Amino acid sequence: MLAGGPWLFIENTMLFWIVAALLTFGASLAVLLPLTSRPKADSTDAHDLEVYRDQLAEIDRDAARGLIGDAEAEQARAEIARRILRLNAGGQSATAPRFAGAGRAIGAAAVLAVPLISWGVYATIGSPGNPSQPLEQRLEQNPAESSVEELVARAEAHLAANPSDGRGWDVLAPIYLRTGRSAEAVTAYRNAIRLEGATADREAGLGEAIMSAGGGIVSAEAQAAFERALALEAGHAKARYYLAVALAQEGRTAEAQAAWRALADGLPEGSPWREAVEQAIAAAGSRLTAGESGEGAGPSQEDIDQAAEMPAADRTAMIETMVAGLDERLRQNPQDPEGWSRLVRSYMVLGKPDQAKDALDRGLKALGPATEEGKKFAEFAATLGVAATE
Amino acid sequence: MVETGHFALVLAFAMALVQSVVPLFGARTGNERMMAVGGPVAVAGFALTALSFAALTMAYVQSDFSVANVWENSHSLKPMLYKVTGTWGNHEGSMLLWVLILTLFGALVAVFGSNLPATLRANVLAVQGWIGAAFLLFILVTSNPFVRIIDPPIEGRDLNPILQDIGLAVHPPMLYLGYVGFSVCFSFAVAALIEGRIDAAWARWVRPWTLAAWMFLTGGIAMGSYWAYYELGWGGFWFWDPVENASFMPWLAGTALLHSAIVMEKRSALKIWTLLLAILTFSLSLLGTFLVRSGVLTSVHAFATDPSRGVFILCILTLFIGGSLALFALRAGSLAAGGVFHPISREGALVLNNLFLTTATATVLVGTLYPLVLEAITGDKISVGAPFFNLTFGPLMAPLLVVVPFGPVLAWKRGDLYGAGQRLMAAFAGALLAVLVVMMFVDGASVFAALGIGLAVWLILGALTDLALKSGFGSVSGHVMLHRLVGLPKSVFGTALAHFGVGLTTLGLVGVLSFEQEKILAMRPGETMEIAGYTLLFDGLTPARGPNYTEERGRFELIDAHGEAESELVSSKRFYTARQMPTTEAGIKTIWPSQLYVSLGDPTADDGVVVRVWWKPLVTLIWTGGLVMMIGGAVSLMDRRLRVGAPSRRAHRAAEKPVSGLPI
Repeated sequence: MLAGGPWLFIENTMLFWIVAALLTFGASLAVLLPLTSRPKADSTDAHDLEVYRDQLAEIDRDAARGLIGDAEAEQARAEIARRILRLNAGGQSATAPRFAGAGRAIGAAAVLAVPLISWGVYATIGSPGNPSQPLEQRLEQNPAESSVEELVARAEAHLAANPSDGRGWDVLAPIYLRTGRSAEAVTAYRNAIRLEGATADREAGLGEAIMSAGGGIVSAEAQAAFERALALEAGHAKARYYLAVALAQEGRTAEAQAAWRALADGLPEGSPWREAVEQAIAAAGSRLTAGESGEGAGPSQEDIDQAAEMPAADRTAMIETMVAGLDERLRQNPQDPEGWSRLVRSYMVLGKPDQAKDALDRGLKALGPATEEGKKFAEFAATLGVAATE
Repeated sequence: MVETGHFALVLAFAMALVQSVVPLFGARTGNERMMAVGGPVAVAGFALTALSFAALTMAYVQSDFSVANVWENSHSLKPMLYKVTGTWGNHEGSMLLWVLILTLFGALVAVFGSNLPATLRANVLAVQGWIGAAFLLFILVTSNPFVRIIDPPIEGRDLNPILQDIGLAVHPPMLYLGYVGFSVCFSFAVAALIEGRIDAAWARWVRPWTLAAWMFLTGGIAMGSYWAYYELGWGGFWFWDPVENASFMPWLAGTALLHSAIVMEKRSALKIWTLLLAILTFSLSLLGTFLVRSGVLTSVHAFATDPSRGVFILCILTLFIGGSLALFALRAGSLAAGGVFHPISREGALVLNNLFLTTATATVLVGTLYPLVLEAITGDKISVGAPFFNLTFGPLMAPLLVVVPFGPVLAWKRGDLYGAGQRLMAAFAGALLAVLVVMMFVDGASVFAALGIGLAVWLILGALTDLALKSGFGSVSGHVMLHRLVGLPKSVFGTALAHFGVGLTTLGLVGVLSFEQEKILAMRPGETMEIAGYTLLFDGLTPARGPNYTEERGRFELIDAHGEAESELVSSKRFYTARQMPTTEAGIKTIWPSQLYVSLGDPTADDGVVVRVWWKPLVTLIWTGGLVMMIGGAVSLMDRRLRVGAPSRRAHRAAEKPVSGLPI
């Protein structure tokens, strides 16, 4: 099949050209045959006479049925007879063919026009090399030649026909998750668990899908899924990682960091989770140093990323609360250059340049405009387009 | 297969060009061989267009999304019926259907026209060739349905949910058979003008074509009206919307043409007028195509989004309407005028019919085009709706309907109005009785309702009177009368049926306009409401899932006098996922000839739902009337007298005669 692909393509194209040639040939014949065969003699008068005869017969029928009276019938017959007489008086004789030479030229041109016009026009607007691609056939072709999209569609078609194929759901679920179709991923994981039984991987995947569908928040439902995964396999990295994320989202940063640390220690060499865990530990650490409790630490990159996946209204509310907390903390404890930078940036992100400027002024006042830290802070603010009042 | 269809379409275009030139040249120079080219080329052109159409349909059936048109208008989960009908549920596909029907009619003229005079046949086919070539070029240049996508998507965008209905399978093909059927009349008219003479066979040929086109157009309009009624969910059956008017104008003009063609066939009178009507009717069909297909209707500014299509159809329109009218102005004077007749005669009645119908057409034309022109010139948006048409179209139609029963009972050439009046006495008495009954027992206040119902009864009884008179009612015994009735020409039945149908439609219109009841209320599950003596119990909403939509189904029970559930109605709100579009499916219970119509609105806060319920008395008669008119057309079309006698059929006809003759 793999090798047959291009051959099939060539055969299709060949077949198309053969059909096109046959059609053209047939069409040309339709023009050519009448031009070369012997015409029937024909007279317009004969046709008219035929119509009048029919009309006379009709009057006879109507009269026989009593639809019209005898006098009326006679009158009508006389009228038609007058028409017939007029016809004969006209004495139109059949015209002899004129312009015989011109006729032959036009006939030849017409026969030639058929292939010339059709092939000429088709050559400019057609796509002869593009075979038909019925959906079913596309879904049946060699998987190696298919795009991910096609593979997914094929699996979907298969599952629509066999919804109880647990393995199909199992294969499809992580693909859905990776391509961002979280809601479908949730359904697929649920089906896989229902049909094939629960495993730690499936439960953890379900949790991740629920979290992703919920805009990155580890909800109680997602947490339950991760916990079931851990119950099935005590050291499951993904489940442990996200349970720690859940702690962090609740503001229990220290506990989260501890959980990640424990996870990092237990991870085998070369685990794909190591990098993510180490980043999480570092982020939690910086948050812990920024504020004792993590409360009011201001939005971290992670928070903002998470917020980006939330509904717009929730997102704004979340960021505003965090920024307000940071602002409050800096008023009490102003010797925090990093905090001031974050506050200015946050106000700019929220579209509040006046408050950003105010924060810059307050920060410079606290840090001292001439100090090394103050200068760096002013420079940073300048890159965001915020300038201090002189 | 797709590309074969594309190639066949291009080849059909080449054939149309040959068909436009060669037979015409042959007819001018008297070259029989060249005239003979028309027939086979027309048939081949039809075969190629049909192949092309089949290829597109196949692409829809197989969900071949490498065809851009399929991707834009189909979905792999759509039920098979809508995959097929989706072929013409879009601009490109519907234009291909238009041309398919055009070439079909061209081929029919070629096949059945072997007994036409050769020059007439050649000219008719050439004119058909011009129309075909123009529209094929239009398709190839601006609206090609075979444009391909190199890297095809895996799923289509689905068809507009409103179109996912059985209506799409019937309405557009019938409407197009009507629109395009008039092209044959047009071609005959232009051919006669080119030749400078009207053959005796002309009227005999034009009349069945007019009849066939009119029949399909009637069916198409009636079907479209019923579709709008049940699918749009607000219970209206006619909105005087420009798209509807676009189909109604050719119908009015076609009805006029149908009647004037009778005069021409029977009496050789009104020849030039019939010719002009044939041109005008098809011109209005073209105008309709232009209004609907150019996008000018949704907004005049649609020209800006795709100017090429609008401008192209406008060019075709100008070319054909302007050209044919110019030819008419040039040649009409040289045509032999027809016979004379007394004003009080059947011809006279038909002329009256023509006057009213053409004036009515002009009214609709003004009402349709004026807002468009105004918007194009000044940018002001005005809406010319029902009030305008009620004031202008209604008063024009009423007197026409009053005189309808007189036509068939008047004699040709010289009629007797007093005698005709006497013969219609019974029908008149019946109508008067109906007026009195409505005034006294139903609604004394509404003069419109009483007179309207009287008019409808007058039409219905008038049609029956015509049949009774022609079968000799009152002058012969019952047995003989029955024999005569059976032996009446089919065209007499056709006339009576068509006029009967007009009466039924009038009755339905008056009934629903005068006695309709409407209620809008919020209902919670378990609540009941009453309308027109019927009690409806709301069972509640249940979610359901269709192949490509989800829906909330609202179930209602119709309670009879004893409190028992008699039948149920289901109205639903659907949501089509691919297009993210909601639709409303009305719940309709037919209690013949009236209907109960339920439509779901928005949910209310206290978990109820807004429900609109209409009681529509006699409403089904509106479309039943259309159906009866259509049957009338079909019966009349079967009348063998309409066929042009061919020399070879002579013997056959003579042999047939005693069989059809009457024993009296």
